[in-house]
Amino acid sequence: MTERHRIGVLFSTTGPYGLVGRAMQNGAVLAVEEVNAGSLGIALEPEVVDPKGEIAGYAAGADRLLDAGIRHVVGCYTSSSRKEIIPIFEKRDGLLWYPSHYEGFETSENVVYTGASPNQHIVPLVQHLLARGGRTAFCVGSNYIWAWENNRILREALALAGGRVAAERYFAVGETEFGQVIDAILTTRPDFVFNTLIGVSAYQFLRELRRACRARGIDQPRALPVASCSLAEPELEAIGPEAVDGHLSSSVYFSSIDTPRNRAFTAAYAARFPDGPTPSADTESAYIAVHLLARALARAGTGEVAAVRRAACEVAVEAPQGPVRLDETTLHAALTPRIGLSTASARFTILAEAPAPVAPDPYLVRSAPRIVPVLRRPRLRVVPS
Amino acid sequence: MTGTRLIQNFSGMQAHLIVAPHTATDTLVTTLLKLGLSVASVRPTGETPRLDPAGLESERALVIVDGDLPLPGMAASGVRDLPPVPVLGLVGVEAPSRLKGLLQFGATGLLRKPIHGASVYAALYLTVNEHGRRRALEEQLARHEERRRGRRHVVKAILRLMQERGLDDDAAFELLRRDSMRARVPLEQYCEALVQARPAVPAPARRIALSE
Repeated sequence: MTERHRIGVLFSTTGPYGLVGRAMQNGAVLAVEEVNAGSLGIALEPEVVDPKGEIAGYAAGADRLLDAGIRHVVGCYTSSSRKEIIPIFEKRDGLLWYPSHYEGFETSENVVYTGASPNQHIVPLVQHLLARGGRTAFCVGSNYIWAWENNRILREALALAGGRVAAERYFAVGETEFGQVIDAILTTRPDFVFNTLIGVSAYQFLRELRRACRARGIDQPRALPVASCSLAEPELEAIGPEAVDGHLSSSVYFSSIDTPRNRAFTAAYAARFPDGPTPSADTESAYIAVHLLARALARAGTGEVAAVRRAACEVAVEAPQGPVRLDETTLHAALTPRIGLSTASARFTILAEAPAPVAPDPYLVRSAPRIVPVLRRPRLRVVPS
Repeated sequence: MTGTRLIQNFSGMQAHLIVAPHTATDTLVTTLLKLGLSVASVRPTGETPRLDPAGLESERALVIVDGDLPLPGMAASGVRDLPPVPVLGLVGVEAPSRLKGLLQFGATGLLRKPIHGASVYAALYLTVNEHGRRRALEEQLARHEERRRGRRHVVKAILRLMQERGLDDDAAFELLRRDSMRARVPLEQYCEALVQARPAVPAPARRIALSE
């Protein structure tokens, strides 16, 4: 007999980051349909709420879903929305299945994290850049926690490697005026630009930088590569053909992963959502969250939170990125880091790939130095005679 | 000199937990383990908690003490004394006597009971780094105190040189400073050695002949 479970789906499919929200919701919906057509012996009934990107909408939506007797909600993209509703899930003992990469330094008994934590995105990117000989970085970011924290990790890693951060510049979310900072970058000529701008700011920055480099005869992807850990396929399409190629991105999923499992996933996605948006790492993460939840529900034989949480740590998902399991201590997923280089067709060529899933380390207990490394200023300076 | 180095990763540290028996510490212990610490429990049974600070490795140890227990039992006798290892206080009853007890115990950070997992890292960060900063300040103060005590030898040495070589005070000081730097010892120490090496030659009688 098929056991039915109602689950909540809480993504902002409209509002300022509606594009990402739609990509994530599509991943969740595809997984729900696969589970319902599959042989797990359970059926999921999604209850969809759209907070429209407004912070108050998340709390109201979470309350509404939990009031309706739903215990499991797949949702949230931004950290601020997640932080807003965690107390509600803790107080009312629900389980939030959070499917996005984020900056870490958080664990909760009432949250399952299926997106990448910092040791699975920024740490591999920094290692890749250092291995390529990058020693001088110019950091450009949107002025909030994502950029601050990623820049801190980069700064410390460079300090340990004897490199340096030439400058860190922050801009309001949504800023599209980058003339001055691009001039500064072209004067400084760092080994690479580290980009933590989000949304339209990132697209505009990449276009303007490419344009400025062309005007000066500089081959930007080679001479001034831009590296990010949030750049995904739908964003490449938004950048447009003039500046889409040659950017480095660190992610646990790229739609170009060449395995039968991922080809099946992208084909199913394209058939179900012909109008897009293109699947991204966050789409896959939402897809994983629902599959993991379904397996945990089937194994637990109940929707009760403690039992499902326990069961979730005992099951595995053969995901498009590869095998995915939850870490019992942190409820974060073990994922497979990859480094991609964007192509003119708005996809990524995979340059490097971890040989096996990497255990999550949300507090960077195993991946960060004990003492904050300090960037050394050179002791001697060359002065003009 | 640069400021104290901040510690951000607490893995490898050992937390010594001083709480009354049957206190709910599950969330605290689980979170400490997630943060890479090991946890040792020092559960007092009706007595004043006792912990031998000499047995703790100051670089790696941390004491977490429940403010609801009768305090103190460790090194701190007054608010000025800094314990050898960082102390994180757990606040239950938010009364002045309990808070004073924690302060006297040397707590540099507090965590409110019931403990919420999401506040443990911040409390650890503050406790450990504030302790480090205070220790650095105390060491600096001790160094200044040492030098202050040595200043009398500097004054004596300056006077000696002025007498012996007919220098003015600035020239005498400059000479001492240069020689101490060459000898690579602090000025105060150099002057002390100089003064003690040669007993003072009685100053030639210079009478101010008020009566003549």
